[in-house]
Amino acid sequence: MYLIGFLVNPIAGMGGTVGLKGTDGQVEEARARGAMPKAAERAVETLVLLAGQPVRYLACSGTMGEEILKKAGIKDYEVVFCPDQGTTSADDSIAVCRVFVQRRVDLVLFCGGDGTARDIYSVLGDAIPMLGIPAGVKMFSAVFAVTPVAAAQIIRSGCTSGGRFFLRDAEVVDVDEEAYREGELRSRLFGIAKSPYVQGLSQGTKQVFESHDEERAKSDIGRFISEVMEGTPEVLYLLGPGSTTAAIAERLGLKKTLLGFDAVKGVKLVDSDLNEKAMLALIKKNMPARLVISIIGAQGSLLGRGTQQVSPEVLRMIGIENIIVIATPQKLAETPVVFVDTGDAVLDRDFGDHIPVVSGYRIARRVRIGREDIPCPNEC
Amino acid sequence: MQTKILLDEDQMPKAWYNILADLPTPLDPPLHPGTGKPLVPEDLAQIFPMELIMQEMSPKRMIDIPSEVQDVLRLWRPSPLYRAHRLEKQLKTPAHIYYKYEGVSPPGSHKPNTAVPQAYYNMKAGIERIATETGAGQWGSALAFATQLFGLECTVYMVRASYTQKPYRKSMMQVWGAECIPSPSTRTKSGSAVLQKDPETPGSLGIAISEAVEDAATHSNTNYSLGSVLNHVCLHQTVTGLESKEQLATVDEYPDVVIGCLGGGSNFAGISFPFAGDKLKGTHRDTDIIAVEPASCPKLTKGVYTYDYGDVAGLTPLLKMFTLGHDFIPPSIHAGGLRYHGASPIDSKLIHDGIMRAVSYHQSEVFDAAQTFARTEGIIIAPETSHAAKAAIDEALKCKKSGEAKTILFNCSGHGHFDMSAFDAYYAKQLVDYEYPEKLIRESLARLPKIPGA
Repeated sequence: MYLIGFLVNPIAGMGGTVGLKGTDGQVEEARARGAMPKAAERAVETLVLLAGQPVRYLACSGTMGEEILKKAGIKDYEVVFCPDQGTTSADDSIAVCRVFVQRRVDLVLFCGGDGTARDIYSVLGDAIPMLGIPAGVKMFSAVFAVTPVAAAQIIRSGCTSGGRFFLRDAEVVDVDEEAYREGELRSRLFGIAKSPYVQGLSQGTKQVFESHDEERAKSDIGRFISEVMEGTPEVLYLLGPGSTTAAIAERLGLKKTLLGFDAVKGVKLVDSDLNEKAMLALIKKNMPARLVISIIGAQGSLLGRGTQQVSPEVLRMIGIENIIVIATPQKLAETPVVFVDTGDAVLDRDFGDHIPVVSGYRIARRVRIGREDIPCPNEC
Repeated sequence: MQTKILLDEDQMPKAWYNILADLPTPLDPPLHPGTGKPLVPEDLAQIFPMELIMQEMSPKRMIDIPSEVQDVLRLWRPSPLYRAHRLEKQLKTPAHIYYKYEGVSPPGSHKPNTAVPQAYYNMKAGIERIATETGAGQWGSALAFATQLFGLECTVYMVRASYTQKPYRKSMMQVWGAECIPSPSTRTKSGSAVLQKDPETPGSLGIAISEAVEDAATHSNTNYSLGSVLNHVCLHQTVTGLESKEQLATVDEYPDVVIGCLGGGSNFAGISFPFAGDKLKGTHRDTDIIAVEPASCPKLTKGVYTYDYGDVAGLTPLLKMFTLGHDFIPPSIHAGGLRYHGASPIDSKLIHDGIMRAVSYHQSEVFDAAQTFARTEGIIIAPETSHAAKAAIDEALKCKKSGEAKTILFNCSGHGHFDMSAFDAYYAKQLVDYEYPEKLIRESLARLPKIPGA
């Protein structure tokens, strides 16, 4: 029997349909524009497919949980928190997540968008895995299933394989809604959660020889790039955020900040958590320089998501040919196309149509660069 | 309009062509892995029968095919040579495209051309069992087929990932009476060592070779057999090129371009050596001979021409060849037969000396070619073979541009009936195009200590 903490942000996604690009603090405006709550509907879609599974749910009362469980015909649940009805807020999400942590749930299943994911992650960290039923306006975080049906499939597969979910690192991305409404996408990496996933490939089409274990893939990439760095002690390396780049530092015995850019030269840490200005100064003094970055988020963003420090000026100084892109096969399985969004359209085009992405020990893949605007992953 | 050019059974070659006799300068000798000195026949006697060792080093131009071997080869040989009329029409090329189809053999590929004589010579030498390795199972199934015809036992170390994910060639081996073991295994010291370090390892061809060699070296009734790379294996494959030459002559053709895919290099050697011999002898100086390799494992186009081991553990002799390093584990492309870090020393030398050349392709464009071929000529070819088809199509398209009516011959080395999951992946758009990060790899190797003599 699994214990799942279940949480719905009932107002998630309301802003999207009426052009508000996010619902944070905009509920009244959204309602005034005629928006209808749709998160409940999407959560029901997932839950009905989980009927009969060996799962017990912990939930809030009312629209944040119980109502939806009832609607989906789920009986095995326990109400563990009662938010003030009518005015649900981020505080309620945070409060119920604290209960989930105390009760040691196996997984938090939530329905919402990036804002909801951020609130939940702020309580769970990477201690408890989380999985999102997509219902928000923006879902740049990697904790979301592609559709409500996919969310159910992921949980069912966990149930059939004896309760063992395949977990992976999933970036939680924080988008500045104010700026987004002004037409500017400003985001930063908020954290790296654990999230269950199902290997996207059916048995017959599985790739031979490649590890299904993402940790192993990371360590292979870490081993390769650390060897490259040891072989080129004269080069300044800027290691970007994420756990794949962290694997490189770990291999070299260096302490890396998880969410920032750190500089390494001659296998020594030169500086940590650099901002744009510090980066420019350091590069100027230490040419040649190389940038090591991984693909961030569920949409295959190469630059521009959580990497604002790397401005077009920084990239020009380093040179596109000196960017080493890394990503695990698991990440690449979901992002067959990557999107480059440096904030400078001319520079974006200089990346060309394909980019090599290091995906294993001495292995790279040729990945297509998407030319469309950065898409919203789900139907928003 | 003749489509299929057939030879009678009595026109099957009675002797193999040994290109060593026609090389302008001798091949650099294989070196002993322990001493670094050139090998002597006795060094190999522990794992190979003497007849094959003599073939490995023979200066004779033509080497007779024993009649017992011919009897078996006649089950499918001479194999047909096809004129690809429909493919030509589809491409609107003035080129004449011919393909030698080796998929008609019982195991479905060119591999039994050498499995049969290898089994035969081992049987004659009183050997009771042969140990070998296999990746996706082409070679293992061919040797299983051959050994049972001569009453030998066969032990196949199959790369673990393929063992679980490509089960049907394993089933074929069982039908033909061979024992198929997932590698690494606890059967050998080298396998146990790998398992101890990494119980979850998916295995690799280099590890499986180490296991099979160790098995043979530690059992007096057992020999080792290799499905590619070595001179005697290339020798046995020349039946395909010799037949093709005969078949083309019956329609008054001689190829301007000869193409084969290259993993270890034996099917390429088979189709090309008889024509490369003519080039060396000066009778046809302008033949363009092309080896096709995957971009993910580009030893010929990005590797180094140097001495290297044939396996991961370093148990095999050091061979002078194009290599990506014996510890390189190539990525998981569907053309499993082309996932090898090295290449036949003879192919390597001929390419190094400019007698032949090499090109590389990504796997998705290769599957495009396989689809074109299947939809015109009808045969669903193996992913390995599709590399050759891709190069043939590209050469034919060049002819379309230039207006030249060149004659193009390629070795259609096997069918793809056990590779349908690869086509599934192609249609699901899940094929990955791998790159070989050459610059980074060179930099990563810079930190390694230099080993003298290696």
